[in-house]
Amino acid sequence: MKLAYYPGCVSLSTGKEMDISTRAVCAALEIELEELSDWNCCGATHVSNELVATGLAARNMAQTELPIMTPCSICYSNLRSAVQRLEDAEVRERVNTVLEKKYSGAAIRHALDVILEILEKKDDRIVLPLKEMKVAAYYGCLLTRPAGQYSPQFPTILEELIKKLEAEPIELRHKTACCGGPIFMPREAAADDIAFAILAEAKEAGAEVIVTVCPLCHLMLDAKQRALEQKRGLKIGIPVLYVTQLVGIALGLGPEELGLFMNSISPMAVVERAYERMAKE
Amino acid sequence: MSAAIAAKDMEFKQEVLRLAGPEVLACIQCGTCSASCPTAHLMNPSIRKLVKLCLEGKKEEALHNETLWLCTSCLLCTVRCPRGIRPKAVVSALKDIAEREGVLSRDSSYEEFFLKQIKSYGRIAELPLTAEFLLIYPQAAVQSMQMGLELISKGKIGVKVDRIDGRDEVKRIVEELRE
Repeated sequence: MKLAYYPGCVSLSTGKEMDISTRAVCAALEIELEELSDWNCCGATHVSNELVATGLAARNMAQTELPIMTPCSICYSNLRSAVQRLEDAEVRERVNTVLEKKYSGAAIRHALDVILEILEKKDDRIVLPLKEMKVAAYYGCLLTRPAGQYSPQFPTILEELIKKLEAEPIELRHKTACCGGPIFMPREAAADDIAFAILAEAKEAGAEVIVTVCPLCHLMLDAKQRALEQKRGLKIGIPVLYVTQLVGIALGLGPEELGLFMNSISPMAVVERAYERMAKE
Repeated sequence: MSAAIAAKDMEFKQEVLRLAGPEVLACIQCGTCSASCPTAHLMNPSIRKLVKLCLEGKKEEALHNETLWLCTSCLLCTVRCPRGIRPKAVVSALKDIAEREGVLSRDSSYEEFFLKQIKSYGRIAELPLTAEFLLIYPQAAVQSMQMGLELISKGKIGVKVDRIDGRDEVKRIVEELRE
Protein backbone atom coordinates (compact mmCIF):
# COMPACT_ATOMS: atom_id res chain seq x y z
CA MET A 1 0.00 0.00 0.00
CA LYS A 2 1.29 3.43 -0.90
CA LEU A 3 -0.05 6.62 0.68
CA ALA A 4 0.78 10.29 0.83
CA TYR A 5 1.79 11.26 4.35
CA TYR A 6 0.75 14.53 5.98
CA PRO A 7 2.64 14.77 9.29
CA GLY A 8 1.25 18.13 10.46
CA CYS A 9 3.20 20.87 12.27
CA VAL A 10 3.10 19.11 15.64
CA SER A 11 5.22 16.31 14.20
CA LEU A 12 8.15 18.70 14.18
CA SER A 13 7.80 19.65 17.85
CA THR A 14 5.48 18.56 20.65
CA GLY A 15 4.30 15.46 18.81
CA LYS A 16 7.63 14.10 17.55
CA GLU A 17 6.89 10.66 18.99
CA MET A 18 3.64 10.58 17.04
CA ASP A 19 5.57 11.06 13.80
CA ILE A 20 8.37 8.67 14.74
CA SER A 21 6.00 5.87 15.74
CA THR A 22 3.76 6.42 12.71
CA ARG A 23 6.68 6.05 10.35
CA ALA A 24 8.03 3.00 12.24
CA VAL A 25 4.71 1.17 12.34
CA CYS A 26 4.00 1.89 8.68
CA ALA A 27 7.42 0.58 7.71
CA ALA A 28 6.81 -2.59 9.74
CA LEU A 29 3.43 -3.09 8.06
CA GLU A 30 4.84 -2.36 4.60
CA ILE A 31 2.79 0.77 4.13
CA GLU A 32 4.83 3.01 1.90
CA LEU A 33 4.60 6.69 2.85
CA GLU A 34 5.44 9.54 0.54
CA GLU A 35 5.56 12.79 2.50
CA LEU A 36 3.37 15.50 0.95
CA SER A 37 5.68 17.94 -0.74
CA ASP A 38 5.96 21.38 0.83
CA TRP A 39 2.90 20.82 3.05
CA ASN A 40 1.45 23.73 5.02
CA CYS A 41 -0.32 24.07 8.37
CA CYS A 42 -4.00 23.02 8.29
CA GLY A 43 -4.93 25.96 10.52
CA ALA A 44 -5.75 23.67 13.45
CA THR A 45 -8.70 25.09 15.39
CA HIS A 46 -7.50 28.69 15.06
CA VAL A 47 -8.61 29.79 11.62
CA SER A 48 -12.11 31.24 11.96
CA ASN A 49 -12.78 31.90 8.31
CA GLU A 50 -13.98 28.65 6.75
CA LEU A 51 -12.97 29.56 3.23
CA VAL A 52 -9.39 30.27 4.36
CA ALA A 53 -9.32 26.98 6.28
CA THR A 54 -10.64 25.21 3.18
CA GLY A 55 -7.97 26.85 1.03
CA LEU A 56 -5.18 25.79 3.39
CA ALA A 57 -6.41 22.19 3.28
CA ALA A 58 -6.94 22.28 -0.50
CA ARG A 59 -3.35 23.37 -1.13
CA ASN A 60 -2.12 20.31 0.76
CA MET A 61 -4.54 17.99 -0.96
CA ALA A 62 -3.58 19.27 -4.42
CA GLN A 63 0.03 18.11 -3.91
CA THR A 64 -0.73 14.44 -4.60
CA GLU A 65 -2.91 11.94 -6.44
CA LEU A 66 -2.51 9.35 -3.67
CA PRO A 67 -4.87 8.91 -0.70
CA ILE A 68 -3.58 11.09 2.13
CA MET A 69 -2.88 9.67 5.58
CA THR A 70 -2.33 11.72 8.72
CA PRO A 71 -1.81 10.61 12.33
CA CYS A 72 -3.25 13.88 13.70
CA SER A 73 -7.00 14.10 14.34
CA ILE A 74 -7.02 17.88 13.95
CA CYS A 75 -5.40 17.75 10.50
CA TYR A 76 -7.68 14.82 9.67
CA SER A 77 -10.84 16.68 10.66
CA ASN A 78 -9.78 19.80 8.79
CA LEU A 79 -8.96 17.91 5.60
CA ARG A 80 -12.27 16.03 5.79
CA SER A 81 -14.23 19.22 6.42
CA ALA A 82 -12.53 20.81 3.44
CA VAL A 83 -13.34 17.85 1.18
CA GLN A 84 -17.01 18.26 2.17
CA ARG A 85 -17.02 22.00 1.47
CA LEU A 86 -15.13 21.59 -1.80
CA GLU A 87 -17.95 19.42 -3.13
CA ASP A 88 -19.72 22.74 -3.66
CA ALA A 89 -18.68 23.80 -7.19
CA GLU A 90 -18.70 27.48 -6.26
CA VAL A 91 -16.38 26.96 -3.28
CA ARG A 92 -14.08 24.78 -5.35
CA GLU A 93 -13.85 27.33 -8.12
CA ARG A 94 -13.18 30.15 -5.70
CA VAL A 95 -10.46 28.22 -3.86
CA ASN A 96 -8.84 27.09 -7.10
CA THR A 97 -8.39 30.70 -8.23
CA VAL A 98 -5.67 31.17 -5.59
CA LEU A 99 -4.05 27.73 -5.80
CA GLU A 100 -1.09 26.94 -8.01
CA LYS A 101 -1.93 23.24 -8.34
CA LYS A 102 -5.70 22.92 -8.62
CA TYR A 103 -7.73 20.81 -6.24
CA SER A 104 -9.68 18.01 -7.89
CA GLY A 105 -10.75 15.69 -5.08
CA ALA A 106 -8.95 13.71 -2.39
CA ALA A 107 -9.28 10.66 -0.15
CA ILE A 108 -8.35 11.28 3.48
CA ARG A 109 -7.44 8.60 6.00
CA HIS A 110 -6.39 8.59 9.63
CA ALA A 111 -3.39 6.40 10.51
CA LEU A 112 -5.60 4.48 12.95
CA ASP A 113 -7.93 3.36 10.18
CA VAL A 114 -5.11 2.41 7.81
CA ILE A 115 -3.32 0.38 10.48
CA LEU A 116 -6.44 -1.49 11.56
CA GLU A 117 -7.22 -2.34 7.95
CA ILE A 118 -3.77 -3.87 7.47
CA LEU A 119 -3.87 -5.75 10.78
CA GLU A 120 -7.25 -7.24 9.88
CA LYS A 121 -5.54 -8.77 6.84
CA LYS A 122 -2.26 -9.90 8.37
CA ASP A 123 -2.27 -10.12 12.12
CA ASP A 124 0.74 -12.48 12.11
CA ARG A 125 2.68 -9.23 12.51
CA ILE A 126 1.43 -9.01 16.12
CA VAL A 127 4.34 -10.74 17.82
CA LEU A 128 3.75 -9.35 21.30
CA PRO A 129 0.07 -9.63 22.14
CA LEU A 130 -0.72 -7.10 24.86
CA LYS A 131 -2.62 -9.60 27.00
CA GLU A 132 -4.17 -8.26 30.20
CA MET A 133 -3.07 -4.67 29.43
CA LYS A 134 -5.92 -2.36 30.42
CA VAL A 135 -6.11 0.33 27.81
CA ALA A 136 -8.51 3.26 28.07
CA ALA A 137 -9.69 4.25 24.60
CA TYR A 138 -9.75 8.02 24.36
CA TYR A 139 -10.88 9.38 20.98
CA GLY A 140 -11.17 13.06 21.75
CA CYS A 141 -13.45 15.04 19.50
CA LEU A 142 -12.02 15.51 16.05
CA LEU A 143 -11.29 11.97 14.88
CA THR A 144 -15.02 11.41 14.56
CA ARG A 145 -16.22 14.92 13.65
CA PRO A 146 -17.57 16.25 11.38
CA ALA A 147 -19.80 13.19 11.01
CA GLY A 148 -19.33 10.87 8.09
CA GLN A 149 -16.60 8.36 8.84
CA TYR A 150 -17.27 7.03 12.33
CA SER A 151 -20.12 7.52 14.77
CA PRO A 152 -19.42 11.03 16.06
CA GLN A 153 -20.52 10.13 19.58
CA PHE A 154 -20.21 6.36 19.97
CA PRO A 155 -17.30 5.17 17.84
CA THR A 156 -15.79 1.74 18.46
CA ILE A 157 -12.77 1.58 16.15
CA LEU A 158 -10.22 2.17 18.93
CA GLU A 159 -11.72 -0.57 21.08
CA GLU A 160 -11.62 -2.86 18.02
CA LEU A 161 -7.96 -2.12 17.52
CA ILE A 162 -7.17 -2.63 21.22
CA LYS A 163 -8.89 -6.02 21.07
CA LYS A 164 -6.99 -6.89 17.91
CA LEU A 165 -3.79 -6.38 19.91
CA GLU A 166 -5.33 -8.70 22.58
CA ALA A 167 -5.35 -5.95 25.19
CA GLU A 168 -8.41 -5.12 27.29
CA PRO A 169 -10.23 -1.96 26.23
CA ILE A 170 -11.67 0.27 28.93
CA GLU A 171 -14.55 2.32 27.67
CA LEU A 172 -14.59 5.84 29.11
CA ARG A 173 -17.73 7.93 29.47
CA HIS A 174 -15.49 10.76 28.36
CA LYS A 175 -14.17 8.89 25.35
CA THR A 176 -15.33 11.44 22.78
CA ALA A 177 -15.29 14.42 25.14
CA CYS A 178 -13.06 17.34 24.33
CA CYS A 179 -9.62 17.51 26.03
CA GLY A 180 -9.74 21.32 26.31
CA GLY A 181 -6.54 21.61 24.30
CA PRO A 182 -7.61 24.19 21.71
CA ILE A 183 -8.10 26.85 24.40
CA PHE A 184 -5.36 25.89 26.83
CA MET A 185 -3.13 28.90 26.18
CA PRO A 186 -5.59 31.75 26.70
CA ARG A 187 -8.02 29.78 28.92
CA GLU A 188 -5.88 27.57 31.11
CA ALA A 189 -8.34 26.99 33.98
CA ALA A 190 -11.20 25.92 31.74
CA ALA A 191 -8.98 23.59 29.72
CA ASP A 192 -7.44 22.05 32.86
CA ASP A 193 -10.84 21.16 34.30
CA ILE A 194 -11.80 19.31 31.17
CA ALA A 195 -8.53 17.41 30.84
CA PHE A 196 -8.47 16.47 34.50
CA ALA A 197 -11.95 14.92 34.32
CA ILE A 198 -10.72 12.53 31.63
CA LEU A 199 -7.62 11.54 33.59
CA ALA A 200 -9.62 11.07 36.80
CA GLU A 201 -12.09 8.81 35.04
CA ALA A 202 -9.33 6.71 33.49
CA LYS A 203 -7.71 6.38 36.92
CA GLU A 204 -10.95 5.32 38.57
CA ALA A 205 -11.59 2.79 35.81
CA GLY A 206 -8.22 1.15 36.48
CA ALA A 207 -6.56 2.02 33.18
CA GLU A 208 -2.87 1.14 32.87
CA VAL A 209 -2.54 3.16 29.71
CA ILE A 210 -4.60 5.76 27.89
CA VAL A 211 -4.42 5.65 24.12
CA THR A 212 -4.90 8.81 22.03
CA VAL A 213 -5.14 9.67 18.34
CA CYS A 214 -4.49 13.40 18.54
CA PRO A 215 -1.36 15.35 19.51
CA LEU A 216 -3.31 18.01 21.36
CA CYS A 217 -5.14 15.41 23.47
CA HIS A 218 -1.74 13.86 24.08
CA LEU A 219 -0.25 17.16 25.19
CA MET A 220 -3.10 17.81 27.62
CA LEU A 221 -3.12 14.31 29.12
CA ASP A 222 0.60 13.48 29.05
CA ALA A 223 2.78 16.62 29.03
CA LYS A 224 0.39 18.39 31.39
CA GLN A 225 -0.39 15.43 33.61
CA ARG A 226 2.11 16.26 36.38
CA ALA A 227 1.03 19.88 36.53
CA LEU A 228 -2.60 18.76 36.75
CA GLU A 229 -1.74 16.29 39.52
CA GLN A 230 -0.10 19.07 41.50
CA LYS A 231 -2.96 21.44 40.97
CA ARG A 232 -5.59 18.90 42.04
CA GLY A 233 -3.58 16.98 44.62
CA LEU A 234 -4.39 13.64 43.05
CA LYS A 235 -1.78 11.26 41.72
CA ILE A 236 -2.71 9.95 38.26
CA GLY A 237 0.49 8.39 36.92
CA ILE A 238 -1.04 6.87 33.79
CA PRO A 239 1.11 6.81 30.65
CA VAL A 240 -0.58 8.14 27.52
CA LEU A 241 0.40 6.45 24.27
CA TYR A 242 -0.30 7.43 20.72
CA VAL A 243 -2.18 4.62 19.03
CA THR A 244 0.83 4.11 16.77
CA GLN A 245 3.06 3.61 19.82
CA LEU A 246 0.67 1.00 21.25
CA VAL A 247 0.51 -0.86 17.95
CA GLY A 248 4.29 -0.62 17.61
CA ILE A 249 4.81 -2.32 20.97
CA ALA A 250 2.59 -5.21 19.84
CA LEU A 251 4.53 -5.43 16.58
CA GLY A 252 7.70 -5.94 18.63
CA LEU A 253 9.26 -2.59 17.81
CA GLY A 254 11.64 -1.18 20.40
CA PRO A 255 11.20 1.87 22.64
CA GLU A 256 13.63 3.99 20.61
CA GLU A 257 11.88 3.18 17.37
CA LEU A 258 8.59 4.30 18.87
CA GLY A 259 9.82 7.40 20.68
CA LEU A 260 8.67 5.94 24.00
CA PHE A 261 11.32 7.95 25.87
CA MET A 262 9.71 11.15 24.67
CA ASN A 263 6.50 10.59 26.60
CA SER A 264 6.27 12.63 29.80
CA ILE A 265 4.76 9.84 31.88
CA SER A 266 7.03 6.92 31.12
CA PRO A 267 5.22 3.94 29.68
CA MET A 268 8.22 1.67 30.28
CA ALA A 269 6.89 -0.08 33.40
CA VAL A 270 3.74 -1.08 31.52
CA VAL A 271 5.75 -2.13 28.49
CA GLU A 272 8.06 -4.24 30.60
CA ARG A 273 5.10 -5.99 32.19
CA ALA A 274 3.97 -6.91 28.69
CA TYR A 275 7.46 -8.26 27.89
CA GLU A 276 7.45 -10.30 31.10
CA ARG A 277 4.06 -11.82 30.44
CA MET A 278 5.29 -12.76 26.99
CA ALA A 279 8.44 -14.38 28.41
CA LYS A 280 6.42 -16.49 30.86
CA GLU A 281 4.25 -17.97 28.15
CA MET B 1 -39.24 40.13 14.97
CA SER B 2 -39.49 43.79 15.81
CA ALA B 3 -40.04 46.11 12.89
CA ALA B 4 -37.52 48.37 14.55
CA ILE B 5 -34.61 46.10 13.59
CA ALA B 6 -32.18 48.54 12.13
CA ALA B 7 -30.59 48.14 8.71
CA LYS B 8 -27.17 47.84 10.35
CA ASP B 9 -28.40 44.99 12.54
CA MET B 10 -29.90 43.25 9.51
CA GLU B 11 -26.58 43.55 7.78
CA PHE B 12 -24.85 41.85 10.70
CA LYS B 13 -27.41 39.05 10.72
CA GLN B 14 -26.95 38.51 6.97
CA GLU B 15 -23.18 38.39 7.38
CA VAL B 16 -23.47 35.68 10.03
CA LEU B 17 -25.84 33.71 7.79
CA ARG B 18 -23.46 34.07 4.87
CA LEU B 19 -20.54 32.76 6.89
CA ALA B 20 -22.30 30.10 9.00
CA GLY B 21 -25.01 29.01 6.57
CA PRO B 22 -28.65 29.99 6.01
CA GLU B 23 -29.80 26.97 8.03
CA VAL B 24 -29.11 29.02 11.18
CA LEU B 25 -32.55 30.52 10.49
CA ALA B 26 -34.06 27.11 11.34
CA CYS B 27 -32.96 27.33 15.00
CA ILE B 28 -35.75 26.35 17.42
CA GLN B 29 -33.80 27.41 20.55
CA CYS B 30 -33.97 23.89 21.99
CA GLY B 31 -30.64 24.26 23.78
CA THR B 32 -29.11 20.96 22.64
CA CYS B 33 -25.97 22.89 21.71
CA SER B 34 -25.61 24.38 25.18
CA ALA B 35 -26.30 21.02 26.80
CA SER B 36 -23.52 19.45 24.72
CA CYS B 37 -20.87 22.11 25.22
CA PRO B 38 -17.85 21.21 27.39
CA THR B 39 -17.42 24.82 28.53
CA ALA B 40 -21.13 25.73 28.77
CA HIS B 41 -20.86 26.29 32.53
CA LEU B 42 -18.45 29.17 31.91
CA MET B 43 -20.37 30.80 29.08
CA ASN B 44 -22.55 33.87 29.30
CA PRO B 45 -24.41 34.15 26.99
CA SER B 46 -24.82 30.43 26.34
CA ILE B 47 -24.24 29.12 22.85
CA ARG B 48 -28.03 28.84 22.37
CA LYS B 49 -28.43 32.49 23.34
CA LEU B 50 -25.57 33.48 21.07
CA VAL B 51 -27.41 32.04 18.06
CA LYS B 52 -30.51 34.00 19.15
CA LEU B 53 -28.53 37.23 19.41
CA CYS B 54 -27.30 36.75 15.85
CA LEU B 55 -30.80 36.16 14.53
CA GLU B 56 -31.98 39.28 16.32
CA GLY B 57 -29.13 41.24 14.78
CA LYS B 58 -27.71 42.20 18.19
CA LYS B 59 -24.20 42.73 16.97
CA GLU B 60 -22.62 44.34 20.01
CA GLU B 61 -23.82 41.66 22.42
CA ALA B 62 -22.94 38.88 19.99
CA LEU B 63 -19.38 40.08 19.43
CA HIS B 64 -18.35 41.31 22.85
CA ASN B 65 -18.47 38.34 25.17
CA GLU B 66 -16.29 35.53 26.48
CA THR B 67 -18.42 32.80 24.95
CA LEU B 68 -16.74 33.03 21.54
CA TRP B 69 -13.36 32.35 23.07
CA LEU B 70 -14.43 29.50 25.31
CA CYS B 71 -15.44 27.36 22.34
CA THR B 72 -13.01 24.45 22.00
CA SER B 73 -14.15 23.63 18.44
CA CYS B 74 -15.08 20.10 19.54
CA LEU B 75 -18.11 20.08 17.19
CA LEU B 76 -20.38 18.17 19.58
CA CYS B 77 -23.03 20.89 19.21
CA THR B 78 -22.77 20.51 15.47
CA VAL B 79 -23.19 16.74 15.32
CA ARG B 80 -26.11 16.88 17.77
CA CYS B 81 -28.15 19.83 16.49
CA PRO B 82 -31.59 18.46 15.53
CA ARG B 83 -32.02 21.26 12.99
CA GLY B 84 -28.80 20.64 11.10
CA ILE B 85 -27.29 23.94 12.19
CA ARG B 86 -23.58 24.20 12.91
CA PRO B 87 -23.43 26.28 16.10
CA LYS B 88 -19.62 26.09 16.05
CA ALA B 89 -19.73 27.70 12.61
CA VAL B 90 -21.75 30.55 14.15
CA VAL B 91 -18.97 31.00 16.71
CA SER B 92 -16.36 30.94 13.94
CA ALA B 93 -18.34 33.50 11.96
CA LEU B 94 -18.47 35.80 14.97
CA LYS B 95 -14.76 35.37 15.64
CA ASP B 96 -14.03 36.13 12.01
CA ILE B 97 -16.13 39.30 12.16
CA ALA B 98 -14.60 40.32 15.50
CA GLU B 99 -11.08 39.78 14.18
CA ARG B 100 -11.79 41.70 10.99
CA GLU B 101 -13.26 44.57 12.95
CA GLY B 102 -10.34 44.61 15.33
CA VAL B 103 -12.15 43.60 18.52
CA LEU B 104 -9.10 43.01 20.68
CA SER B 105 -8.68 40.46 23.45
CA ARG B 106 -6.05 37.99 24.56
CA ASP B 107 -7.91 35.29 22.67
CA SER B 108 -8.24 37.17 19.41
CA SER B 109 -4.54 37.98 19.66
CA TYR B 110 -3.69 34.31 19.94
CA GLU B 111 -5.66 33.60 16.80
CA GLU B 112 -4.05 36.54 15.07
CA PHE B 113 -0.52 35.36 15.93
CA PHE B 114 -1.42 31.89 14.73
CA LEU B 115 -2.64 33.15 11.37
CA LYS B 116 0.34 35.48 11.07
CA GLN B 117 2.69 32.51 11.44
CA ILE B 118 0.86 30.56 8.78
CA LYS B 119 1.02 33.57 6.50
CA SER B 120 4.72 34.17 7.08
CA TYR B 121 6.09 30.63 7.24
CA GLY B 122 3.36 28.26 6.05
CA ARG B 123 3.70 26.27 9.26
CA ILE B 124 3.43 26.77 13.01
CA ALA B 125 6.43 26.86 15.31
CA GLU B 126 5.21 26.67 18.91
CA LEU B 127 8.09 28.47 20.58
CA PRO B 128 7.82 31.82 18.77
CA LEU B 129 4.02 31.57 18.86
CA THR B 130 4.07 31.17 22.64
CA ALA B 131 6.69 33.88 23.09
CA GLU B 132 4.65 36.38 21.11
CA PHE B 133 1.49 35.52 23.01
CA LEU B 134 3.20 35.90 26.40
CA LEU B 135 4.09 39.48 25.57
CA ILE B 136 0.43 40.40 25.54
CA TYR B 137 -0.79 37.89 28.13
CA PRO B 138 1.98 37.35 30.69
CA GLN B 139 -0.44 35.57 33.03
CA ALA B 140 0.07 32.47 30.88
CA ALA B 141 3.76 32.45 31.81
CA VAL B 142 3.58 29.94 34.66
CA GLN B 143 1.74 27.38 32.59
CA SER B 144 3.99 27.99 29.59
CA MET B 145 7.15 27.62 31.69
CA GLN B 146 5.92 24.36 33.21
CA MET B 147 4.97 23.00 29.84
CA GLY B 148 8.12 24.37 28.21
CA LEU B 149 10.45 22.73 30.71
CA GLU B 150 8.62 19.45 30.34
CA LEU B 151 8.83 19.54 26.56
CA ILE B 152 12.44 20.72 26.41
CA SER B 153 13.50 17.86 28.69
CA LYS B 154 11.98 15.48 26.15
CA GLY B 155 13.54 17.20 23.14
CA LYS B 156 10.16 18.28 21.86
CA ILE B 157 10.41 22.01 21.42
CA GLY B 158 11.15 22.95 17.85
CA VAL B 159 13.39 26.01 17.94
CA LYS B 160 13.91 26.12 14.22
CA VAL B 161 11.16 27.85 12.25
CA ASP B 162 10.28 25.86 9.16
CA ARG B 163 9.63 27.99 6.11
CA ILE B 164 7.84 26.28 3.25
CA ASP B 165 8.51 27.16 -0.41
CA GLY B 166 4.89 27.96 -1.14
CA ARG B 167 4.71 30.91 1.26
CA ASP B 168 3.36 33.32 -1.36
CA GLU B 169 0.61 30.90 -2.26
CA VAL B 170 -0.33 30.44 1.41
CA LYS B 171 -0.34 34.20 1.90
CA ARG B 172 -2.74 34.50 -1.04
CA ILE B 173 -5.01 31.84 0.50
CA VAL B 174 -5.14 33.70 3.79
CA GLU B 175 -5.61 37.15 2.33
CA GLU B 176 -7.69 36.64 -0.80
CA LEU B 177 -10.09 34.00 0.49
CA ARG B 178 -10.97 36.01 3.56
CA GLU B 179 -13.31 38.25 1.56
